[in-house]
Formats: sequence, structure tokens, C-alpha cells
Amino acid sequence: MGIERVQCDYVSLVNVLSLCFACVVIFYDECVNLISVWKQDETFEIGKEKYHGQQYCHIYFARLHLMRTLLYSLAPHWKPNFPVCTVLELEEGKECVIVGTLYKHMKLKPRVLDEYSKQKSVVPLVKLHNFMHSDDYLVLEDESGRVKLNGNIIPPEYVTGIVVAVLGKESGAGDFLVQDVLDAGLPPQIEFPLKSGEDKYVVLVSGLSVGSSTSNPLQFQLLIDHITGHLGDEKAQRFASKIVQVVFAGNLVEIPHRILNGQNLASEDFARMSEPIRELDILLSQIAAGLPLDIMPGPSDPANFSLPQQSLHGCLFPGSSTYNTFRSCTNPHCFELDNVRFLGTSGQNVDDLDKYSDAKDKLEFMERTLRWRHLAPTAPNTLGCFPFTERDPFFIESCPHVYFVGNQDKFETRIIKGSEGQLVRLICVPKFSETGVAVMVSSKSCTLHFNLDMAFLYLSKYIIPLAHQ
Amino acid sequence: MSNASRKRAASAVAPQPPPPKQVLMTQEEDFMDEDVFIDQTLVSEDEESIILRDIEQRQALAARLSKWTRPPLSDDYVAQSRGVGAYFPLIGFPSSRLEIDYVIGESHRELLPNLSGPAAIIRIFGVTKEGHSVCCNVHGFEPYFYISCPPGMGPDDISHFHQALEGRMREANRNSNVGKFVRRIEMVQRRSIMYYQQSDSQPFLKIVVALPTMVASCRGILDRGIQLDGLGMKSFLTYESNVLFALRFMIDCNIVGGNWIEIPAGKYKKIVKSLSYCQLEFDCLYSDLISHAPEGEYSKMAPFRILSFDIECAGRKGHFPEPSHDPVIQIANLITLQGDDQPLIRNVMTLKSCSPIVGVDVMSFDTEREVLLAWRDFLREVDPDIIIGYNICKFDLPYLIERAANLKIAEFPILGRIRNSRVRVKDTTFSSRQYGTRESKEVTVEGRVQFDLLQKEDVHHSIISDLQNGTAETRRRLAVYCLKDAYLPQRLLDKLMFIYNYVEMARVTGVPISFLLSRGQSIKVLSQLLRKARQKNLVIPNVKQVGSEQGTFEGATVLEARAGFYEKPIATLDFASLYPSIMMAYNLCYCTLVTSEDARKLNIPSESLNRTPSGETFVKSNLQKGILPEILEELLTVRKRAKADLKEAKDPLERAVLDGRQLALKISANSVYGFTGATIGQLPCLEISSSVTSYGRQMIEHTKKLVEDKFTTLNGYEHNAEVIYGDTDSVMVQFGVSAVEQAMNLGREAAEYISGTFTKPIKLEFEKVYYPYLLISKKRYAGLFWTKPDKFDKMDTKGIETVRRDNCLLVKNLVNDCLHKILIDRDIPGAVQYVKNAISDLLRNRMDLSLLVITKGLTKTGDDYEVKAAHVELAERMRKRDAATAPNVGDRVPYVIIKGAKGAKAYEKSEDPIYVLENNIPIDAQYYLENQISKPILRIFEPILKNASRELLHGSHTRSISISTPSNSGLWKFAKKELTCIGCKAVLGWHWSTLEIEILVWFPVVLTGKQDSSDVSVHIAKEGKLSYIVKRYLEDKSHKTIGVVVVVSELEMHFGKLWTQCQECQGSLHQDILCTSRDCPIFYRRKKAQKEMSEAQSQLDRWSF
Repeated sequence: MGIERVQCDYVSLVNVLSLCFACVVIFYDECVNLISVWKQDETFEIGKEKYHGQQYCHIYFARLHLMRTLLYSLAPHWKPNFPVCTVLELEEGKECVIVGTLYKHMKLKPRVLDEYSKQKSVVPLVKLHNFMHSDDYLVLEDESGRVKLNGNIIPPEYVTGIVVAVLGKESGAGDFLVQDVLDAGLPPQIEFPLKSGEDKYVVLVSGLSVGSSTSNPLQFQLLIDHITGHLGDEKAQRFASKIVQVVFAGNLVEIPHRILNGQNLASEDFARMSEPIRELDILLSQIAAGLPLDIMPGPSDPANFSLPQQSLHGCLFPGSSTYNTFRSCTNPHCFELDNVRFLGTSGQNVDDLDKYSDAKDKLEFMERTLRWRHLAPTAPNTLGCFPFTERDPFFIESCPHVYFVGNQDKFETRIIKGSEGQLVRLICVPKFSETGVAVMVSSKSCTLHFNLDMAFLYLSKYIIPLAHQ
Repeated sequence: MSNASRKRAASAVAPQPPPPKQVLMTQEEDFMDEDVFIDQTLVSEDEESIILRDIEQRQALAARLSKWTRPPLSDDYVAQSRGVGAYFPLIGFPSSRLEIDYVIGESHRELLPNLSGPAAIIRIFGVTKEGHSVCCNVHGFEPYFYISCPPGMGPDDISHFHQALEGRMREANRNSNVGKFVRRIEMVQRRSIMYYQQSDSQPFLKIVVALPTMVASCRGILDRGIQLDGLGMKSFLTYESNVLFALRFMIDCNIVGGNWIEIPAGKYKKIVKSLSYCQLEFDCLYSDLISHAPEGEYSKMAPFRILSFDIECAGRKGHFPEPSHDPVIQIANLITLQGDDQPLIRNVMTLKSCSPIVGVDVMSFDTEREVLLAWRDFLREVDPDIIIGYNICKFDLPYLIERAANLKIAEFPILGRIRNSRVRVKDTTFSSRQYGTRESKEVTVEGRVQFDLLQKEDVHHSIISDLQNGTAETRRRLAVYCLKDAYLPQRLLDKLMFIYNYVEMARVTGVPISFLLSRGQSIKVLSQLLRKARQKNLVIPNVKQVGSEQGTFEGATVLEARAGFYEKPIATLDFASLYPSIMMAYNLCYCTLVTSEDARKLNIPSESLNRTPSGETFVKSNLQKGILPEILEELLTVRKRAKADLKEAKDPLERAVLDGRQLALKISANSVYGFTGATIGQLPCLEISSSVTSYGRQMIEHTKKLVEDKFTTLNGYEHNAEVIYGDTDSVMVQFGVSAVEQAMNLGREAAEYISGTFTKPIKLEFEKVYYPYLLISKKRYAGLFWTKPDKFDKMDTKGIETVRRDNCLLVKNLVNDCLHKILIDRDIPGAVQYVKNAISDLLRNRMDLSLLVITKGLTKTGDDYEVKAAHVELAERMRKRDAATAPNVGDRVPYVIIKGAKGAKAYEKSEDPIYVLENNIPIDAQYYLENQISKPILRIFEPILKNASRELLHGSHTRSISISTPSNSGLWKFAKKELTCIGCKAVLGWHWSTLEIEILVWFPVVLTGKQDSSDVSVHIAKEGKLSYIVKRYLEDKSHKTIGVVVVVSELEMHFGKLWTQCQECQGSLHQDILCTSRDCPIFYRRKKAQKEMSEAQSQLDRWSF
């Protein structure tokens, strides 16, 4: 019954919309200063990079090079009394610091080769969510060679692809006995804008999954109405009026991938496939009409597979893309809003860490990626990745103020602090279609006295009424 | 000068050793001794001192020697106050056939004061418990054989006979200066093993000769006949004259392969001037050896040192490395102690500098000479007992030796345990029933056993040279590869428990391990037969080999297979060890066989006789127990015990030993039958083998009859049982019941019932139920295998193409997946659909190329092949294209069959898969359909489907065909590629402005031969038309975008998976992947992914505007 009533409301709402529109415009007129300065980072655009048969060693090399310069500069302060050397220069019993890329040897890791070598098992394999095993071990590698790590380094915390410095010595058996590990730590942060200003909100949503069985168009419509200030009491509308940006962090739609699979498709198949996108376009254009809107592709979107995922093509959104507030972005996505730096992904990086390492919660994975200064260390090893040759776009050069990851199971947030006073708000954005939760981040810093809790004063959960019923 | 230096105690007696005689009867080459005189192969002492000086000069190596050597001898060994318990004959007789397992030297004066002149000295190499290497020179054992004593021969006659024989021997060996050829002739009481005889023994003459080769020459004389006083010309049948000297020694001393031998303190004399590199070397008398049966404490193995090594050679582009040109650039070595997990020593020797590798001792040298000599020194110091590697006997070892010869390093090939004895290489052919004829190189390394593991491919030779010519870093990479190749055989050896299985087999059959590696089955049986016969006072005649025409006999029959798909449980009744059981049950043996004539003559009561279905007569065991049944009984009892112990055993090492033992016992028991049937074997006796098979047939028929008579509705059973198939030793019965458990109960009942009707120990066992069961024809079937009623164990297939190498992977996958669907999923329509989809994919050019690759080894060059073969033709064509990457003799050539000109022969249509990938060459789908897929698939489906062929191979799914358009050949070269509009397929001329094209063209390049684009472009250029097209596209665009993006994302996913897998295999993240192994299942997929990624990106680029 509830649903029907709401649907009626919706129909009438659309009717009223044209009337209300004038109000909204006026409302925004009053708050002219709410227009924010938005700056996008182009790090994640493949752009001119061309694929010409290159392999993955280049990206590892670029990563090692960037990170090693950094770690070499840290090493003298960390362990002043020990020499720094390469894997080649190791000598038995000599204590020293070596820097290199970690490789985690994992017994249970699924391998393409198994498709060939393994006999078809009678019992279907249990699908594992995590491929760790007690026999896993770490190897440290630089261009000169690799060495097995032992001792004071715990494999479950690390994954393949991280660059770290380790102190220790080579044992007789050819292993390296680790005494201490150093990661690069949080990158330097641009200063948090101190000048007082209006309270501004950024809304983070992920996992709309339009077209999937869990998606509910009404739920989404209600969200839109909240964001655009068409629902709620005066207080809620006051909040809504302060929203300056909406970010959709991946999995906007869900396309039945199976029906594709390289087959020649009939035109009705195409129609079936693009149906969710048409629906999404209609909904998004409602937001784009009033608010700046960033959309990031996710694993289930019609985008390329490997990271960085390139922006969804504008032609998919013939309606909303006509607004200049509509911005199709890459995943990962990095932008600055009034000099507050946001960095986020649609979730693949953390999900992959979850498969190959262990942590108490998702936020800890996020924190680690910052400390490792690498957004997606498991790319390309277990996470699809474009074979870059000159650079590693996932290297985090500058510490964000807000770091979000989309398509998680539940909402979590925490502030972490770096050794140089960097403060980062970590946010796990839950799947909207399953939880009905969107996240609102306040970007206000009101006083000279810098206080991060104040700066991110308001983190609200929009619990859409339907979810309660 | 050189003559003077050759003078040595041992050589003084035989200054002119006769050349080895090759003129003896060639068909007996298989079992022939060859005398090698001790000084024949040695280098002079001058040279030796040069070698030693050489070592001293290389000080760098000297420091490592301490790490390499074996544990030092304890004082009581030095003082000889302690008995030597050494693990011996595993190392005893090196792996080749014509190896010196004994040498001819001067008789030992102290040990054998009564003898003088040359004598055979048996050399045994072994390891003690503590890991010391031992060389034991055994003296006093003399070669001999028997002849039956002519009746009425007295001591005087014997002495005349001796003289006559000695005279003939002297004639035959004129240039030999041996003092006395026939040492003595003794009268002994023995009995021939052939035929049942009533008397216990008869007089035989034991003829003892001076040297082992004289056995053969003496036998020749006696075979041909000898003039005897009073008897005239007389020829003799010899007995046990074809037993290898070494084996004779082992049998007479009760030594088996891989057992412990002890020489008590005080019984051995430390050698004054050692001839070997072993830590302990001594002389002793053969009668002082104590052999310990491999039980309890003595079943353990000695701590052998196992060397696993690999060499890399810098080949020239386009050539397989040849020792005359291409240097050896790296040698990687791993030394492992038997039973340890981790290697004791890891090192690599490189030509030119090489960056260090963690945990590996890297030794770099400036010249190849130093590399080779360093390896030789390493080998000598480390003193390995076993040498393993991939293809070492055929490639690595001969290459090293030939290379050293080319570089004129005369002192290199001293790799064995005998001081200054050069290693020899020869080409041999080895043929046995089991392995067929093989050509191989034979490298004799004295005192070290060589295990050759299977061949494999590695870095392409052309890349090796590039890496070698680079820097210390690139050479390090090569060294890492090389080390890996040295490590793999070691792991394989551990994994497959080779050592345990071989040692156990040697212990059971009593032959040295080297015999197991290089000889056929028959010597194992012969060894056991001789041992047993010796206990019984029996002697084995040396029957003239008559060749294979001696007559054939009917082999094992199988009951006719009633092909079909059985969806009810099929119970399988198996005869446990059928042939051995038959031989035991009916007392079939050489010594129980009686001719019917003899049976009459000897007046044997008919109740003591047994007539076999093939018409032979054997006596029953109350008159004479056969030797073969006795051997078999022992083998099977021991096996039973081993299996029982295995169940109890906890320790994995112990389990490995026991499992190896029971397997060895089973194989040995089964080979006894084969021995009697081998017409060119040592002691063929077709009377036995044909009786065995005839009994076997009878048993099967009997079982069938009993089952079908008893299990009927008339007898109160639910259904009539039906025997659907019977193989050599098993019968498949359909009892008609539909539950597995019921079938199992009935199976058990039938087995018990029928077993009761057989003579013991023949026993029918119920083991398993097949359900469902797909019976294709005889020896071809598949089914699910149940031993417990609740869950099946596995899918079992026999005779169905699942692993054959000359099939492409597609066939194997199809067959496996279909069987899986039919048997496990019980989804026949699904299987049919699956096959149809695969065929459709094949015809529509959507098949993964790697599934279509067929691989064959290139064994000879094109001219040598009589019939033209696809892979040979391809190799020839590739050589013309680019000699550098073309396959060489010894390589394996992968190819696919491509569409050729009409009427082209199959061998002309082979093509390199890489070339096909790169140039979009169309595959000959029809060939794959007809020549690869159809037969195996139809075989599976014919029992299941009506009209299988029409349904599967000619259905509607075969109508749609697409062919890729090649980019560089034939007519297509002249076709022009142009951008076309997806909407109306109009060709877009290049004169269009970029902007217009960007708006209009979103689809990939489609090739078209249509050239009349002018009117179309004019047509479209008109404003109204243009807007029409643009509009059409805007509607279509989002659909097409999704289509393209999804294809691309799939490609990216594959690309990532494949290339990171290769990084993993390579063991390095920061280096380019070099591997070009075409044996790797993902090689083509990886290449393809690389190519498609390029294409996909250019496609995507067309979308960005």
C-alpha cells in the first residue's frame, strides 16, 4: 500500500515540479557563495598512453623507482646506522636496509594455468572469499633479484606490489631475516583551507545498480528528492540547500554481462542491455539539473575492466550529459573542491586487498593504501590494470583530506592522522541499492582553530523511509 | 717416455690388452660381458700430476672444497679396526650395458696366495651410513658355467677333456697371454630346470675359466663341438653360460640391488695405491662379504649425494647448439642428500661475470676451459652417487664431453670415481618389448648412477646468446633460469619417489638399479629364477635362440563388448593377479612340464598330471613343486605383507618405501608370465605361456556362464544377470538392479560363489561398480567408479582420447567435458548442445587458437622423412622465412591447419600458430571437424544417440560459417581496407573530413571489396541525407558503445590474468617476460591477448571524441 501511495506522490510531485522550480532557483540565488571551485585531477586518464605490446614490468619499475627515492630519503632517519643496499649486494650476516617490491607467494591464489592442468574436479570448488593460507610467504624484489623474507614481517598484512624498506640480514639459507619494516607513510597534504565560509556538503553514493534485482527505483527517486530539496522538513531542506556536489562512486547500473560474451547480438538484446542506462539517465538528469554531478564507473558499469577505468561515454546519457553540471569521471577519481582534496575509488582496490590480505575492517585497508602511498598495490597482479610504461598513476603523491571507497557492505568512517599532522577522513560508502544509505560530507572549517571533527562536522545517513517500512 | 709412465703394478701383467671382441654372436649382445683391462682407460701419471697441479693453481676453488667434500673419515676407519657396513650395489654397476663392473687386474697376492696371472676384480661403489664413499675391490670370484656330464666320464676323462678344451681355447685366443684359460673343471651334482625329472640330480661339469669373456668363447667351442678321445666330435648344451659376470657374483653372494654389505674388521686390506677417488678403498675376498637382507634397520637407505645439474649453451641464431661451435656458458648444480628437503649446495658456474644470487654460490670464469674444469673439480670433490637432470644422458653430458674434446681439454672427462679414468660416450640403440627401440647416447660415468628425467623446453637458444652477450645482470637472469632447470628434476625425483621405487624394485628382483634403468623386464625374472634355481640345485640351460618364428599362441581374449550406455550399475568382477594365480594353481613351470611321451615313459599316474586347455601336460605339486609358482608365491606373500605394513605405517618415508615395494612386487609377479612367452628372451617356454592364457580364457568364459546361469529370475533373483563385457582379467556384469548398493551385494555374492569353483589361489574379487557405464567397444569405455555405495570415487576412462599428444587440446577438452556431462551431470542433451556449440564456435572462427595447436617432435630433417608430414613441411617453410626462429631437429613443432588452396594436401596446410595469429590467417575448420573431432566424439555418442553423426556433425549449427580475413596473403593483399558506415555499410572515403567521420563512424574497420564509394559519399554529403544518418546513429550509439566496451573489458581481463601468470612463473615482477615455451598452455592465449589489446585500444580510440 505504501508503495502505491508514494508512487502517486511521485506523479503529483512531477506535476508540481515545474512550479517548485522557480523556488529552487530563488533559493540558490540567495546562496550565491555556495558555488564551489571544482578542480579535477587528470592522473587517472589513460589519455595518450598507447598500448603497443608492452608488459607489466614497466609499471612495477616506475612504482619501485618512485617509491625507492622516497624510502631512500627516509632510511637515514629511520635506521641511521645501517647501510642501504640492493638485493644483489646482500651478504650473509650483514645487517642492512633493502628496498624493493613485495611479492606474496600464495598457495591458494587462483591461477589461469589451473584451468588447464587441473582435472575437472567432481565436487565443485568452494568459492573462496579470501585466498590466504598459513604457508604464504613474502619475497622482496628489486631489479637485481629477489629474496625470501622471514622473521619480523607478517604476510597477512601485506600484498603483492607494495614497495617497502626492510632492515635485517641474510641468513645462511638464502632468506632475509627481517627485523623491522618501514613503509612510506602518509604523503604530504595540501593545507586545509582555513578561511571560514559557508558549510558545504558533498554527497557520496555508490552501488545504485539500476537494473539489478536489488535496485528499487523509488528509493532512488526519494534520494534525488532529498538531495534536490524536494522532500523533508525545513531543516532537511536547509541541509539540502548546502549540497554542492554529488558523487556516484561506481556501479550505477548492472548490465547482464552474460548475454554479451562476444556474441553477435540482435538489436533487441541491445535494447535490453541499454534499458537500465536509459532509466539511469532519466534519474540523473534530475540531479544534474540542479547540482554538479560526478559519476565514476565501477565493475558492473559499461566501462573498461582494468583500472583506471575510463569515464563512461557521454552518449550513454543523452539526457543528463546535456547539462554542464554532469561530469563523467574516471575511477579512481580525484578532485579538489574549494581546495579540499577528495580521492575515491569504486571499491575494487579495497575488495581485492580483502581477498589477498587481512585487516580488522575495510577502513584499515584504506589506511594501509595511504601509508603504502599506493591506491591499488595489487594492480596489476590480481587487479586488472592498464600496462602503463612511464608512470604509475596509483602512486599517491598528495594526501587527500577525504578518501572514500564505494560499494562496501556497510558504512564506516574514521579519521587517521599522519606523522606530519596530515588528517584524513576515511569513508566506506555502502551499496545504496542494498542499504539505502548515502553519505554526506561536510567540508566546512569554521574557525581558525583547526579541528577536524569540526571540519567534517556532519556525516549524515539518509535513511530513506522505504527502507524502514 | 709414455710407455715408461704406464708401468704400474696392475698393468705389468697385461701389457698388451686384446682389443675388445665384438665378433661374437650378435643376437646375444644383450647379455654379454666385456673384459676391460684396468689400465686401458687411464691417463698417464704425468697427466695426472698436471691435473693435480692445475687444481692447486686454482686457489679460489680450493676454499670451496671444504664445503663440498664428504664428512671426514673417523679414526677407527683409518685404523681398519672397524667393519665397513656400506650401502652398496645401488652404485655398484653404472648405468650402461657394456660397463666395466669388473676389471681385469693382477690377482691379489696377499688375499689369494695360490693364484697368479690376470683375474677379474669386481669393483663395488657404495656409501656408508655416515656418508663416506667406498670403493671395494672384490677378489677371488671366478667366472664359470656348466655342461651336463657325458655318461661314464671318470676323473681321467675329465682331465683329458680339460686339456682338449684348454687347447681349443688357446687357439681361439691366440694373442692372449693368459697362463691358463680353463682354470679347472669340477664334477658336481645338478639338475636341469627343463622338464620334470624323477631323479634328483645328475652329474654336471662346472667349468671355471680365467676371465669372464672366456665364458662366451668357451661356450662357442662347446656349442660347435669338440673332439674328444673315445667319444669323437661332441657338442654340448651349456648351462648358465649367459649370465653376466656381475649378476653371477651377486647371485652367488646373495647380494641384491640396493642392499647393505658388511665387511668385518680385519677382513679387508686397505689399498696401498688407491685407484679411485673414494674415501675408503680396499681389497677383500668375495667370501668375506656379508650381505644383509633389506629388512629392519637394513631397509633404510644410505645418505646418497644426488647431483642435479643443467647446462646452458650459447647457440648461434637458427642452429641447435653444436659442441663444435657453441660454448658452454653456464652450469648450475644442486647437491641434495637423499631424504633431505633442502639442497646442501647450490651453485652456478658462469662464463664471464655474473651478478650474485642470494643463497647461491656464483662462480664466474673468464674462459670456457676454466668453467669446464671447475665443474669437473666440483664433481670430483662433491662425489655424487647419483646424477640427475633433464635429458642429461642425451644432451648435457655428451655435450660437455664433446665440447671439452673440441677445446682440447684432455683432462676434462675424468668425471667418474676411478682415478684418471676417462668418461666414454657412445651411441647405442636399446630395444625392449616394453619401451620399443630407442636411440640414445650412452655416457659412462664410473661409480655414479645417472637418472635421466623427461625432456622439457626452456628459453629459446637465440635468447640465450643475447643474454650471455649482455651484462653481468643479464647473465644473472640466465643463471636463475639455469638454476631453476637444475632444481626441477630434483623436485620431480622427490615427488615421484623414483629412488624409493627403484631401490625397492632392485631389492625384490635382485638386480642392480642400473639394470632397471637400462634393461628390459626379462633380466629381472632371470635374476630371480637363477637365485631360486641355485637354492634348488637346478641349472638353467642356455637355449639357442630360435628367433620369433617359434610359433605364436593365442593371446588373451576378451568377451565381446555389448556397446551401449548403461544407466544401471555394472558390477565388475576382477581376478586378482590372474596370470600369477594360474601359474600357482596349476603348478606351471619349466620343471613340471612333461612331454606326453615322457609321461608315458616315466609312468606317471594320471591323477598326478594336469592337462591344460592348450594341450600341454604338467605334473602336480605333489610330485614336483614348480620354481615359478614358488617365486610367485613368495612375491605375492611379501606383497601382502608390504601392503599390510603400509596400512600400519605412519612415517611418510617408511610409507614411501613400502609402497614402492608392493608396487615392485606386483610388477615383478606379472612379468614372470611375460618372461616365459618372450620368444627372443632368455628362456622362452611357450608351453607355459600358452597354457596360462588358455586357462585365462577358460576362467573368463566360466565366470560368464556361472553368472548368467545362477543370477536369474528362475533362481529367485529380481532380474536376469547379463555379462556385457569381459577383459583379460575382469568381467562386467549387469545384475539389472538399479541401486549401487544392491549391485555391490550381488557382486560380492557372485565373486564368492564363483571363487569357490576355482583352484586356489585363483580368486575372483568384487572391487567396484561402474554406474553409469559407457561401453564403446573392447578396451574402450568410461564410467563412474564406485567402491562405496554412497559416493563415487572418480571418473574412469580407458582407451578414450584424453591424453594423446597428436590431438589438439580441443579434442581432449571436448571428450573430457562431454564425458563429464554425460556421466556425472547425467545431462545428455547438455552434452549434445555442448558439442554443437563447440562445433559452431569452430566453424564461426571463435575458437581459442591454443586449443587447435597440434604438436609433434621434429626428429629428422625433411629429406629423411619418407612420407611428407605436416610439421616437417612447416619447419622447412619456417626456415625459409626466418632461420633464426625456425624449429630444429629435436624441437617440438606446434602447428595449426589452415585453409589452403583447393585440393592442397594436409601437410601443405600446416602453419605456425604465431604466424596465424599475427596475420589473421583462416583456420581450416573442416579439417578439425573431420580429422580431429569427429571420430572421438562419434565414438562417445554412438552408443547414446541415434544418428549421432547427422545430429552432431551436420545439424543446423554447422550452417553459419565465418572466416577471418588474412592481412597479408593471396587476393586479400589487393583488397583495400576502408572505414565503413555500420548503418548502411557504405564505404566512407578518406576525403571525408575528420569531423564527419567522427560523427559517423563508430564501428571497427570492416573490410570490403566494394570500390564504388563515390556515389555513396556524394549521396551522403547532401545535407538532408547526412542529418538522417546522424540521427540514426545517435539512436544506435549507446547500444553500440556498450557492445564495444564489453568486448574490450573482457579482453582486458584476459590480458591481465595471462600476463601476471607469466610474471609469476618467471619469478620476477621487474623483468620482461622472455619465455617462449610453446608447450605452455597459455602461450598462444597470451600472445593473442597482446594482439587483441592493441586492436581493442584503437577501437576505443575511435570512440573518444
